[in-house]
Amino acid sequence: MMLIFVATLSLPLLIKKPIDLPPIISVELIQITDQTNIPFAPKAKKIIEKVKKKQEKLVSEQAPPKKVKKEKPDAVPLPEEKNEIVKKIKEKKQNPERIEDEVKQVSEFEKDEMFDPNSIAALIDKSKEEQATTTQKLDKVTQSQDSSMNLSGLTLSEEDALKAQIFGCWSIPLGLPYNENLLVRIKLKLKPDGSVIKTEILDHARMNKPGQGFYKVLAESALRAVQMCQPLRVPTTGYERWKDLQLNFDAREMLEG
Amino acid sequence: MKFSKNYKNIFLAMFLSFLLSACATQTSTKKIDSQIQGDVYTGTDTVEYLADGVPDRVFFATNESVLTTASRETLRKQAAWLRKNPDVTVVLEGHADERGTREYNLALGERRANAAKDYLLTYGISSSRASVISYGKERPVDSGSNPLAWSKNRRSVTVKAN
Amino acid sequence: MKNKIRLLFAILLILFPFKSLALIEVDITRGNLSPLPLAVSSLSSSENDKEALQKELDIKDIGLEISKIVENNLKKSGLFNPLSKDAFLQKPDIAHLKPRFEDWALIKAQALITGKVNFQDEKLRVEFRLWDVLAGKEMLALAFTTVPKNWRRVGHIISDKVYERLTGEKGYFDTRIIYVSEKGPKTQRIKKLAIMDQDGFNTKYLTLGNELVLTPRFNPTNQMVTYLSYFKNLPRVYLLDIETGMQEVVGDFPGMTFAPRFSPDGKKIIMSFAMDGNSDIYTMDLENRIVERITNHPSIDTSPSYSPDGKYIAFNSDRSGYQQIYVMKSDGTKVKRISFGKGLYGTPVWSPRGDLIAFTKLHKGKFYIGVMRTNGKGERLLTENYYQEAPSWSPNGRVLIFYRETKTDSKGEGFSAKLWSIDLTGYNERLVETETDASDPSWSSLLSN
Repeated sequence: MMLIFVATLSLPLLIKKPIDLPPIISVELIQITDQTNIPFAPKAKKIIEKVKKKQEKLVSEQAPPKKVKKEKPDAVPLPEEKNEIVKKIKEKKQNPERIEDEVKQVSEFEKDEMFDPNSIAALIDKSKEEQATTTQKLDKVTQSQDSSMNLSGLTLSEEDALKAQIFGCWSIPLGLPYNENLLVRIKLKLKPDGSVIKTEILDHARMNKPGQGFYKVLAESALRAVQMCQPLRVPTTGYERWKDLQLNFDAREMLEG
Repeated sequence: MKFSKNYKNIFLAMFLSFLLSACATQTSTKKIDSQIQGDVYTGTDTVEYLADGVPDRVFFATNESVLTTASRETLRKQAAWLRKNPDVTVVLEGHADERGTREYNLALGERRANAAKDYLLTYGISSSRASVISYGKERPVDSGSNPLAWSKNRRSVTVKAN
Repeated sequence: MKNKIRLLFAILLILFPFKSLALIEVDITRGNLSPLPLAVSSLSSSENDKEALQKELDIKDIGLEISKIVENNLKKSGLFNPLSKDAFLQKPDIAHLKPRFEDWALIKAQALITGKVNFQDEKLRVEFRLWDVLAGKEMLALAFTTVPKNWRRVGHIISDKVYERLTGEKGYFDTRIIYVSEKGPKTQRIKKLAIMDQDGFNTKYLTLGNELVLTPRFNPTNQMVTYLSYFKNLPRVYLLDIETGMQEVVGDFPGMTFAPRFSPDGKKIIMSFAMDGNSDIYTMDLENRIVERITNHPSIDTSPSYSPDGKYIAFNSDRSGYQQIYVMKSDGTKVKRISFGKGLYGTPVWSPRGDLIAFTKLHKGKFYIGVMRTNGKGERLLTENYYQEAPSWSPNGRVLIFYRETKTDSKGEGFSAKLWSIDLTGYNERLVETETDASDPSWSSLLSN
């Protein structure tokens, strides 16, 4: 009995990276509700924009616990969102280090939307943000039930579009040694229109390692590709999902072939 | 009767002409084939003579420096002639065909010339009378790019030095 | 029991990977393998300097000529695509001070080279800059001085620096190639030693053609060359000083010595010596003239080549019955065969990077130039031809130069020998232009270091 239990729990572990998961219906539905089901959508949008602006400065944000209690998920009929909100409560309890940010955020919120039932819309988007930001802390325990609800991946078509674009921009340096590790990982911070705010090369130390001179050249070529391809072919919505993106440039396939 | 006889004649004529033409081609290919046996040139196209009946050269198979029966016979004739002319000294020039790398061919030419020289020595010619030089693939006698030309180039040539 | 289950649950949750909600990662596994487009602007120079240099060197616009050398070098490497100057929007002098990156990005240049040349006190003073057009910043800036007659080397040095910055590897442009110049009928070829800049300019003949000369090789450390000469009909290894033209025979061997090379420190010659028909490998120290025997085997041992650290020697031997490649320690011990494929193997030559050995292979009537790792594994054939052999490495271990011969037709005509080069990856096979037919090429080390 225990074994079966353990097995079922570990099933999500066996599923591969989010990229490979099929499009999640829940994501699309949320988008639809954004536009049609919520009566005071325009106002919510304003709040969302403001929140996004904050996002750029703060590492993570969370609505204050107080706010959560006021929520009533009646305006949004989707069961998954209920889960999210419930989860949020759990989350907040487990993330004491975010209190500072919370405090800031609280003041903003309290200023703009006191007891506004339509803040549900804002909260829905916020919940997405929070999930996106919390995932960056790898040692956190949450959302086990959520592994099937991949709110932070790109759809296959979105991914293909971006890939196709960058394939066209990347001039792979021809002089690279064919039998070395040719992987360059670049983290990007993007604007909603797909232009790049910031780039960061992971494995930065390798750029100056002796005998790895080609790595610097490879990394520079990847950066050039990103520069050339601006604005990147990003999805039209769901900015929160992809505003932080990591591109893994691997020249091996091209050179070995 | 006459009719069938005519046919017979015509038939016979045709048959004979076929036979003859076949023979002709056979002899021409035979001619080339007969010049190479076991990858060693056996013809006389490029052969010169140190004296009447004394051919100046022996030939080798690809990558080999082994002396064939014919080669040994030639060298015996050369030895005999050298004994008769004790004042003559010779240089044995070793060569290789062009179907190999240059440096290895230099070594191969040297080996071939030495093989010929060693055989002469066994017939009483003193070592001081015969020196060796290799030209590798540098001095082909036939500039063609075909097996026959190459076989003519795989040689050791005995040249009068004085 | 319930508590235990809860504990286990908690533990399992802790162990769950965060992957499902990790940062989005997109794998970029394709790009285009075309040469990097870049722009080489003319180097700017003042009108006075231009006039003075025209008098001195008979060149109209030295800045333009130097930029052409750079363009040519980079293009021939197969890694870069220098764009046509017709499309350039900025003038050389302004571009060198402050390029308008948008102008250059407009013509699709991803990198830009600018510079200027001054002629002062009988010297050329050159300054150049390499810019990253897309990032909008300077990548490299260097200045150096030299005498006017070295003006072509200026172009080669700039090419090397740019190549190094953009590929992470040292360049190979400020180098020379020594080879055998050939003329005449196949049965009686006239051969001379010739030397030229790697881009084909400044050809000089070092011998007169009166005697057969073969397989010249550079000393990696100075201006000496070793080669085989049939002077006075005695094939022996010689040394030649390029500067003075002086020649001297190496040692006093009673028989043919051939296939010479220098040791990496330039102090020894390694070669084959044939005695009684058998060829073995010997070394001679150029200072104390001590001769050492390295192989002692009744087979043909030839074409020796040192590893760049001088500890090992690769060579060609037929001790197994046919030509194969062997590696041994430099004292001749621990001989190990490393070629095991089908066919005959010859002319092993150790890469300056130490990681590969290039060779010639003959199989089923076809000649191949290939490389293998120093343990014999990873054999890769780069090119196939009716006849080709004797690869020599560029000093950065990236490019191989070798020679090819063509068939003669039934009339015995149509024979030619030419130098060719190919990139280690098997790409960019190209003819190396020479004034005459050519064979036995050898690549020098970088002239500037």
